Amino acid sequence: MTILETKKLEKHFDGVQAVDNLSIGIEKGEIAGIVGPNGSGKTTLINLLSGTLEIDAGAVIINGVQKFENINPWQISFYGITRTFQDVRLFEQMTVLDNILVVLTERNVFSSLFEKHKEYHLKKAEEVLQKVGLWKKKNQLAINLSYGQRKLLEIARTLAMDAEIYLFDEPFAGLFPEMVKIVSDVVKELKREGKTIILIEHNMELIRKLCDYLFVMDEGKLLAEGKPEKVLAKKEVIEAYLGK
Amino acid sequence: MEYLIHLAILFSIYAILGISLNLVVGYTGLLSITHAAFYGIGAYATAILLTQSGVGFLLSVILGIILAVLASFLIGAVLSKFDGDYYALGSFGFSVIVFSVFLNWQSLTRGPLGILGISKPELFGIDFSSNFAFLILSLLFLIAIYFVSKFIVNSSFGRVLKAIREDEKAIQVFGYNTLYFKLAVFVMSAAMAAVAGSLFASYITFIDTSTFTLMESIFILTIIILGGLANLHGSILGALFLILLPEILRFVGFPTDIAVQMRQVVYGLILILLMLYRPQGLIGEYKL
Amino acid sequence: MGIIPQLILNSIIAGAIYSLVAIGFSLIYGATKFFNLAHGVMAAIGGYSVFYFAKTLGWDLWLAVSIGMLLAGLIGYGLDKIIYKPLRKRKASNMVLLVASLGAFTALQAIIAILFTSQFQTISGNIGAQNIYEIFGGVITQTQLIILISAITIMAGLALLLKYTMFGKAIKAISDDEEVSKIVGINTDKIIGYVFFIGSVIAGLAGILVGFDTGIKPTMGLSLLLKGVIASIVGGIGNIYGGVLGAFLLGFVENFGIWKISGEWKDAIAFGLLIVFLIFRPRGIINN
Repeated sequence: MTILETKKLEKHFDGVQAVDNLSIGIEKGEIAGIVGPNGSGKTTLINLLSGTLEIDAGAVIINGVQKFENINPWQISFYGITRTFQDVRLFEQMTVLDNILVVLTERNVFSSLFEKHKEYHLKKAEEVLQKVGLWKKKNQLAINLSYGQRKLLEIARTLAMDAEIYLFDEPFAGLFPEMVKIVSDVVKELKREGKTIILIEHNMELIRKLCDYLFVMDEGKLLAEGKPEKVLAKKEVIEAYLGK
Repeated sequence: MEYLIHLAILFSIYAILGISLNLVVGYTGLLSITHAAFYGIGAYATAILLTQSGVGFLLSVILGIILAVLASFLIGAVLSKFDGDYYALGSFGFSVIVFSVFLNWQSLTRGPLGILGISKPELFGIDFSSNFAFLILSLLFLIAIYFVSKFIVNSSFGRVLKAIREDEKAIQVFGYNTLYFKLAVFVMSAAMAAVAGSLFASYITFIDTSTFTLMESIFILTIIILGGLANLHGSILGALFLILLPEILRFVGFPTDIAVQMRQVVYGLILILLMLYRPQGLIGEYKL
Repeated sequence: MGIIPQLILNSIIAGAIYSLVAIGFSLIYGATKFFNLAHGVMAAIGGYSVFYFAKTLGWDLWLAVSIGMLLAGLIGYGLDKIIYKPLRKRKASNMVLLVASLGAFTALQAIIAILFTSQFQTISGNIGAQNIYEIFGGVITQTQLIILISAITIMAGLALLLKYTMFGKAIKAISDDEEVSKIVGINTDKIIGYVFFIGSVIAGLAGILVGFDTGIKPTMGLSLLLKGVIASIVGGIGNIYGGVLGAFLLGFVENFGIWKISGEWKDAIAFGLLIVFLIFRPRGIINN
């Protein structure tokens, strides 16, 4: 079943076509990789899917039924989508624990005003922080974490969302090997639980190991798609990466 | 002694203003320079009602709150679309507009002439006209506002405010329509400022437009930045500091009109020095 | 004397003054990306320098005007060196810079009031004796004619400077991306320092011209700044041509806005225009 689909998606910045007539479909329960050279529109695509950027034209279809020509960012969690950011966006001057609790509690102004976090919120926060090895640092400010720890905290924050679709924008970039292992374990576990993952990544070895399906983007267009080993062997894909 | 009581009353009024502004600036990271507008709305509500109708003090406070809520709802609905320096600039604009209304709606506010003879409060049959009694009353209001604010910042709502301050776009992705949160905290803060205004009008018994200028908003901002952003105790400390500071200047012995300007120089320098050397203020938990 | 031609003339003169403030403000914003709220005080410094050197000391008028502009420029330059540059070095947020400039504004304005009192004063003793010209059924004074001529000269000169000199290209590069400019070898601190100097000189001139036209008071800087800021945003922030366009639009809206109501509402009308733009076209007329 196709859980997430784009139909003729378009986005341009100052005349540059960042995403160009892009129509792709992502199957439920799969890990879909998105690769492509820098500036090929991968992050723009994630931003369009999560409502962080406005769609110029085309549509996003979730669960095969809900069709969006415009998505508000605060709606996406309602449809079971969550994401990380390429440039790691944490709530810097808040504790590690608060970074997680804030995505667990009430979304409504009035109910949140009369709510303090409960025992089960704390339990959940402990669970996801343990998973990435940050529970011991729960009272530190996010701003004081190392780069790798910051990326892990961002992953933990998406885990707390209990989403259906996870958009990971270069989750492995700049991580030490032991942290890469933590993140890839998280990704594998999500897949076991039947979740769908969209992964932007440059490391081809990780792509081959993790992804069920692969999309190659170049200059905002879809260059190729299919099983990773087949796609990566294609001539035009190699050319796009290495230049002609 | 009487003078100390006077200072203590001023302190509690400014501590209320500081705590309430801190909710917006310190916790939510929105640099609002329009707090004096809501302070003024509360003051005018009490002044007009107490001089022109038989309504009691408490009712005038409530009416001031209602008016401030309405005004801040309209202003906040516009401002909440912005963040950062554009928010600051927009709030700057509203402070000028509200001031113009105070100044020009003369049939109601008497403009620069001001409103004289505002009576001292009487509540539940207790007369608060002596300064000592008034001090008790204003401290009670301060304590109430402190605990309401504490409740707000310790709730889940308060945590969302901080997340908005840190990265508004990011927290939206996690399911929060931040516009409503920004609007809600702005309205609550304005309601508290109106209470301070009612106290001020009833205490001084005379108000005119000169109290509710942009300079007053800057002064309240100085209180909370000096005391420390995102810390309620910081605002109390800041108010204490800046209420006592002119008294120190007084001992230096400047003539009155120069002393007023001297104070402004000091407030300005405080802001500059804090930004240069200690942006989190005395006991702040947030660096701008 | 027709009312419409007169309103048009008044609008153009106001637009010329506002554009002088907006140009400098926009130039500084372009290079540093923060709202320098101390910019308006440079106008007051210009005006008061002429008042002091020409009227109090009786020096030659042209000399006094030159000193006034130079002094404004130097103080603007000094603020950058002492306050903003260290903050930039520390990568302080633009909110910190904005608050620091708010402090500088508060302190400088109060210092002027201490030195010269906060009373309204005139620079030229013979305003009544000025030559008056009639254009298209409206009346314009000699001072106002000078305002127009100098505004046009400054705008043209600055446009040439920005377009054809290395200095202009460096400013453009810094406005686009400061980090990259550093890498390609532009001494950004030096260029930004010059930008502060030039912007402040022009603001100083605006203050001097306003002083000749109507008069001076310490708070004149604030109202000029507000108009300059509004003009810049309405026109498109960081773009000096947009700033000029915004300034004239503001001049017209303001002067026609008070056609039927009291002139006291001018500021509120100006900010109303700002807020309309903030809501519907936050990036201004020239949208880049």
